[in-house]
Amino acid sequence: MSLVTLRVNGEDVRADIPPRTHLADFLREHRLLTGTHLGCEHGVCGACTLLIEGAPARSCIAYAAACDGASVTTIEGLEHDPVMEALRAAFTAEHALQCGYCTPGMLVTARDIVLRLPDADADRIRLELAGNLCRCTGYAGIVRAIQRVLREGVPAVPRTLTRLAPLGTLSRDEGEGLSPPPSPSPASREREGPVAVGDGRVRANEVRAGGNTELTQTLRLSLPPDQVWAALQDPALIASCIPGAAIASVQDGRIEGTMEAALGPMRARFAGAATVRYGTDRTGTIEGEGQDRASATRLSGSARFAVLPDGASGSVLEIVLAYILRGPLAQFARGAVVQDFAAEIAYLFARNLEARMQGRAAAPAASLGLFALLWRVLRRRLARLLGREP
Amino acid sequence: MKPVAFDIAAPASLAEAAALLAQPGAMAMAGGQSLGPMLNLRLARPELIVRLNAIPGLAGVAEDADAVTIGALVTHAAIADGRAPDPGMGVLARAAEGIAYRAVRNRGTIGGSLCHADPAADWPTVLTALGASVLTSSGRRIAMTDFIAGAFRTVLARGELVASVRIPRLPADAGWGYAKACRKPGEFAHAMAAALTDGARTRLVIGATGGKPVLLHDADATEQGARDAALAAGLDPVAAHIQSVMARRALQQASEGARA
Ligand SMILES: Cc1cc2nc3c(=O)[nH]c(=O)nc-3n(C[C@H](O)[C@H](O)[C@H](O)COP(=O)(O)OP(=O)(O)OC[C@H]3O[C@@H](n4cnc5c(N)ncnc54)[C@H](O)[C@@H]3O)c2cc1C
Ligand code: FES
Ligand code: FES
Repeated sequence: MSLVTLRVNGEDVRADIPPRTHLADFLREHRLLTGTHLGCEHGVCGACTLLIEGAPARSCIAYAAACDGASVTTIEGLEHDPVMEALRAAFTAEHALQCGYCTPGMLVTARDIVLRLPDADADRIRLELAGNLCRCTGYAGIVRAIQRVLREGVPAVPRTLTRLAPLGTLSRDEGEGLSPPPSPSPASREREGPVAVGDGRVRANEVRAGGNTELTQTLRLSLPPDQVWAALQDPALIASCIPGAAIASVQDGRIEGTMEAALGPMRARFAGAATVRYGTDRTGTIEGEGQDRASATRLSGSARFAVLPDGASGSVLEIVLAYILRGPLAQFARGAVVQDFAAEIAYLFARNLEARMQGRAAAPAASLGLFALLWRVLRRRLARLLGREP
Repeated sequence: MKPVAFDIAAPASLAEAAALLAQPGAMAMAGGQSLGPMLNLRLARPELIVRLNAIPGLAGVAEDADAVTIGALVTHAAIADGRAPDPGMGVLARAAEGIAYRAVRNRGTIGGSLCHADPAADWPTVLTALGASVLTSSGRRIAMTDFIAGAFRTVLARGELVASVRIPRLPADAGWGYAKACRKPGEFAHAMAAALTDGARTRLVIGATGGKPVLLHDADATEQGARDAALAAGLDPVAAHIQSVMARRALQQASEGARA
């Protein structure tokens, strides 16, 4: 719990609350100020916009405990604000609301626009409204309402509400000599280059097929195809080669367990199952699906694999990975970021498989320390970049 | 969704903050505009949040003959409003103005954006092009080209914080260009490029590639160079093409600026 003091709509408020309580929940549930609406709860829709120290802010990603000592103004606190009175009248006249869900956030943003940008034209108003979503009106009425207030004259309000505090002075060398440069963190000590596999490096070529991401990895092995194929008949062996995985059970080709992934400060632990199926001509597929319960992120994908002859006594293992990431993690891990991870997972899988077939243990999941994984992703990127330099 | 339960601390100095952040499970919070979404979506699951906004001096600025220095806690909005010193041609204000929405800019900070190292964020690309460097709580000065290690990753050690960013003043005859492609204003870009030229030498940075910003010099600082670099970074041909268009626009703005 955390003791918080806030000035809410001019009134001093003290409360002992869990630090994870965001400002909107605090106002709605502890102060019953339900004029602040919640839509997305991650900063995108603008429904929760209110004033912190007089400036518009998202109350869904501002935590009450992190705002300790601040002054907060909600839509209720602006009831008698002359600018808001003018905006309310204009919103009514111009049909700027239907269901009203977006309206408190719209009004707070509109108030900021008319005070900060007295010369705004329709285009500028639309640009400024980009951070407030309305599912009903189509915005035309909202834009007209704001224009109407600008045209009819914006009432004067005390400047303190709209101005931010002036910046102080920070010495350029602030912080210097606090302590010696830190020794490398465990994460950076784990840095090591990609391990060469078989006779060379795993090559990945990324293809986009119908919006899904597909990616091919090939691995040259110095074992004949029949021997590789025989080894692959054991789903338990396949399971043990999946990087970052903790296997709970392997039965009738069905693998159950979890797989961990990390992206900077973000973590996901996918719990799920995969099924191994064998086809003809030394081909097969692994299909699986998992969910990170905490973030409700879903990962589904398949790996088609084929063992092909290579020269007289060698073979090539080809893995075609297709995957879809849905949910919160996908919002951060856009496009190329996830591709790199998938490529890395396929690479590590192939490397583990080779180790297992040579009678060595696959790298245990824990030692895949996801920082090391990240570092190898980076190294691969660097290698690709450096590769084009003479 | 609601975040996992965490504790919160509000240290009054950088040294105290660094000590708290040395604990496993601790995370710094500046404006919370990237951390907040990650917390609410339970993608970040810290045990302790160390908020930096009670540390005096971090939201300040300084300038000298060679450079301007912006405290880590200075917000995008303060920079957009021109309340931070300008290294030349209003480059910082221009970039800040295009970040997210006003309500996000009012709280999001320059230091938080750099440390979050989202490949599609504006400051990493812009500040790399401007040749900026960060000063950390350990007294390390790290050039932007070395600071970002990859997607969502920097070279900061555990517990090490960014205190300020130093941006060299632009040469008198400089030209600057910045272009990004967004599906909607305020959304993260899917391609971006920043160019700085003094007529003789050119720095072109392409961002939003999925990894760290890519810096191209002089002969490589071209539309084609940007396309090649984007392809080398693993982007598909369509994304690489959009990158090259952003590069062309940034270079064009920069060369017009340099001639003016
Ligand atoms: C809807 C929306 C749209 C957005 N669009 C854009 C956009 O178009 N372009 C763009 O660039 N950004 C965008 N952002 C992100 C925004 O710019 C954030 O302000 C910024 O990324 C993070 O700054 P912050 O101060 O909020 O940091 P926080 O969220 O508090 O922290 C971010 C990370 O950095 C760490 N950190 C913060 N400060 C320090 C420090 N001084 N030293 C060490 N570590 C630190 C934290 O531990 C955390 O891991 C958007 C955000 C939202 C919500
Ligand atoms: S609920 Fe806060 S921005 Fe959507
Ligand atoms: S009026 Fe219904 S969402 Fe805007």
